[in-house]
Amino acid sequence: MSGDLRIGGIRRGDSVEFTFEGERIVAQKGETIAMALWAHGQRVLRNSSRDGGPRAVLCNMGVCYECLVRIDGAVVRACMTEVENGMSVLRGGKP
Amino acid sequence: MSESADVVVVGGGILGCSVALHLATAMPTARIVVLDRGPIAGATSGRCMGHLMVTPDTKEEYAFSHTSIRMWAELQEEIGGFDYNPTGALYLADEPEDLELLPILQKQFADCGDKADILDQKQLRDMEPGLAHDLPGALFYEGDGVVLPMTSCSAMLRLGQRRNPKLEVRPGTEVTGFDGVGSRITAVRTKNGVIKTENAVIACGVWSPAVGKLAGIPALPIVPRAGNLAITAHHATPILRQLLEVSYIRFAHGAAKVDPWKTDEDKGGHAVNMQPQSAGGCLIGSTRQFRGFDTTLNRELLHRSLLRAQRYAPGLADLPIVRTWVGLRPYSVDKHPFVGPWPQTDGLWICSGHEGLGISLSMISGHLIAAQMTKTQCEVDPTSWLPRRIL
Amino acid sequence: MSAPTCETPATIDADVGIVGAGPGGMAAALRIAEAGLSVVILDEGSRPGGQIFRQLPDGFVHANPPAEPPSHDAGHDLLHAISGATVRIEQRATVWDATPPRGDEPGRLWFEQGSASRLLRCKAIVLAPGALDRCVPFPGWTLPGVITAGAAQVMVRGYGIKPGARAVVAGSGPLLLPTVTALASAGVKVVAALEAAPRIAALRALPGVLRSGARLREAMFYARQLWRTGVTLQFSHAVFAAEGDGCVQRAVIGKLDREGNPIRSSAKSIDVDVVCTGYGLVPSIEIGQRLGCKAVWNEARGGWHIEALSFGATNVERVFAVGEIAGIGGSEVAIAEGHATGAMVAGILQQRPVLSALRDRATSVRRAADAMLRAFVVPKGVFSLAGDDTIVCRCEDVSAACVRDAARLHGDSLRAIKMGCRAGMGPCQGRMCTPNVQAIATRGSCQQWDEPVAQVPLKPVRTQTILSAPTK
Repeated sequence: MSGDLRIGGIRRGDSVEFTFEGERIVAQKGETIAMALWAHGQRVLRNSSRDGGPRAVLCNMGVCYECLVRIDGAVVRACMTEVENGMSVLRGGKP
Repeated sequence: MSESADVVVVGGGILGCSVALHLATAMPTARIVVLDRGPIAGATSGRCMGHLMVTPDTKEEYAFSHTSIRMWAELQEEIGGFDYNPTGALYLADEPEDLELLPILQKQFADCGDKADILDQKQLRDMEPGLAHDLPGALFYEGDGVVLPMTSCSAMLRLGQRRNPKLEVRPGTEVTGFDGVGSRITAVRTKNGVIKTENAVIACGVWSPAVGKLAGIPALPIVPRAGNLAITAHHATPILRQLLEVSYIRFAHGAAKVDPWKTDEDKGGHAVNMQPQSAGGCLIGSTRQFRGFDTTLNRELLHRSLLRAQRYAPGLADLPIVRTWVGLRPYSVDKHPFVGPWPQTDGLWICSGHEGLGISLSMISGHLIAAQMTKTQCEVDPTSWLPRRIL
Repeated sequence: MSAPTCETPATIDADVGIVGAGPGGMAAALRIAEAGLSVVILDEGSRPGGQIFRQLPDGFVHANPPAEPPSHDAGHDLLHAISGATVRIEQRATVWDATPPRGDEPGRLWFEQGSASRLLRCKAIVLAPGALDRCVPFPGWTLPGVITAGAAQVMVRGYGIKPGARAVVAGSGPLLLPTVTALASAGVKVVAALEAAPRIAALRALPGVLRSGARLREAMFYARQLWRTGVTLQFSHAVFAAEGDGCVQRAVIGKLDREGNPIRSSAKSIDVDVVCTGYGLVPSIEIGQRLGCKAVWNEARGGWHIEALSFGATNVERVFAVGEIAGIGGSEVAIAEGHATGAMVAGILQQRPVLSALRDRATSVRRAADAMLRAFVVPKGVFSLAGDDTIVCRCEDVSAACVRDAARLHGDSLRAIKMGCRAGMGPCQGRMCTPNVQAIATRGSCQQWDEPVAQVPLKPVRTQTILSAPTK
């Protein structure tokens, strides 16, 4: 998928800029990291723990931990963490 | 219904599984049955850390542990599948005073003909960038490692079955008694029936005294020693190698300062042991406390060990802890495990009481049981570990 | 409701602590606040409503909101009422440990909120943590683009984001319909909607639907929506596999036999970029177990759930359970139980009698839900969809073959399998795979899983959260 997957006709929050794997992403305040990236067409958030396979949002409500990403040495759920200006997000899981 | 086996191994933890593997190797056509009251690796072996650790305290212990760890490397070559991670071990000094312990430990390794390197602050930082920058130094020993104990049990059984298809594993089978106690074992009784056999091995960890009693062993001096553990999420580890506080050696394998039977008196001790699993998280231990079979978490003790762990690896603060739990080590009151025949009943064997070194020592212990049973060459002198010493 | 600042106290006290700001938690909170008691809700989301009444983020406004089912009227009412009530809601709060009230000792709920480690002390605890989507593994289900039915709804209703361009919705139970509706409203082409249960299941669900006027109106709303979008629900069908290079590009769909086994000859491939899957819901019971509440098994209610007696009481004094934690039943049940439990909690703390009509209403709504959901138990055969190399435990990358091998070697209990292959030992703490491992090990012949053991932390939290947790 590419392009913006945001549904039209919704007034959204202010723009927020963060980076994912070094790439600059523009999101809307109030969006989670997972949703901002999904809207941007970036689904793969984690490399699985053993075979390193691509993993993405599964439950989108903080239960499955498939979307663990790294921010400044912390490991957080992308679907439960809101984007903030200047955030530097890295893919989680197997390095 | 009557069935028979050449050997019945009671206990499906790491020691029972290793005994089964070595018996299957030594007797490729014998009928060997492994029984466990619960699942395989369902008790201590499913709740412990996974260190492969060479202990150089005496030459005897060195030979025992070093040979075992060599056998672990062979098991990895042969079958794998248990997250074998030969990281080596860093014995960390916390305060400058601890630095004086490093040459003592280094000399112990040297006296055994082995080698360990003293690292200064900079060398330590280069080796483990995630450690606190003010740590004064460490001793690095290359021979240690980490495994995942539960799947190590599976690997041992799988390899055993490959070598001897008549090796049978029966979880959920509780032993209720032994026939022939006091003269010669003739059968093992279970809740699901009787198995005629001339050899029974008790490898029941903390429950060995209870099972031993069924086999006429009055008081096997093995006591549960609880440990509180925590683990981080996968690949969320601040470190790459196994870490131990060098002060660990001051008490972990030395004499307990409290009477193990007066459980309410033991306030518990702790020394950090951190183990990065090859595909998993970072396992954090370890605390030691005598308090019977109680497995409720001691929050205060766990906090103390997490705080220490965080002192060594500050990045731990932000990493997610996935699980905390308590495991029970089978502490042998004279600090030596029991590995060998029980002299009062022919065909009765014990393999238990390894405290916190059960994973490390499982390979050599299983070998010693099999070698003595088949009267073949032992890789190390078994004398010190023979159960007859308590008679 | 904002993120805690330096002035935010680590420890807060209230008469009543509630876990979850979904329909059950909100209804209970309103009753308790009305009685003049102080009440604090701990909620993991960023806004109240739970998953079912999920709101767009603060500040987002839908210019032309899509049609909503009638049941959402109750949600709007609750959200409106709660915003005007003296109910304190701590959002983004992950509860990780708890102890029940005992005598004069308050109950305690430890929670992580951002980087803060906090504690709520209260005289009574109401548990309304909700449920999670049940997945049944199939080949390719780990590919990016396979999401739960709930996840799809959160994307659309909670963030105004399209899951993709072309979707297939598959699984079982009444939640497939709102998923199809949500996708269609977002302009996603729903290529197929597949219900694993046979058509007769829908008929079996009818008495439960007809017993409740609200449920009937709900069913008619969805029938109309489906008709408008031109999607037909195909019974006895499932997704056999998801395929694609690095993400979902195709789904293989096909017919199931009576027992739910895939009929391979019926398989065909469709081009989709999203697969939404959901075989009903599983109650989130860990916090109840941690507090000592008894769990019981009921397949129609999603498996293990906390046993709630009259007015939501559990076997633990002053600990109550409402909504999905007491068995899957939907928002109508949660609201009715929330009202009854809220009134009872206030009654107990203020030593006042409570209207039995509230309890009777909760009981009757619950019975109707049970009657309907009984029709949608997961058919045995779908557990054979997973091939040998299909991942069962996503956290630990454990395949179906490994699960079966572990069961053979270590024993077929949940704990034995876990010890044999690590299934359930990762960060989701077994939430996703526990309902499946034993069923997959036995190829569907054992669908009742062992009661899982709740461990601390109830969800992963930072080491620092544990270390800086208030102790008193």
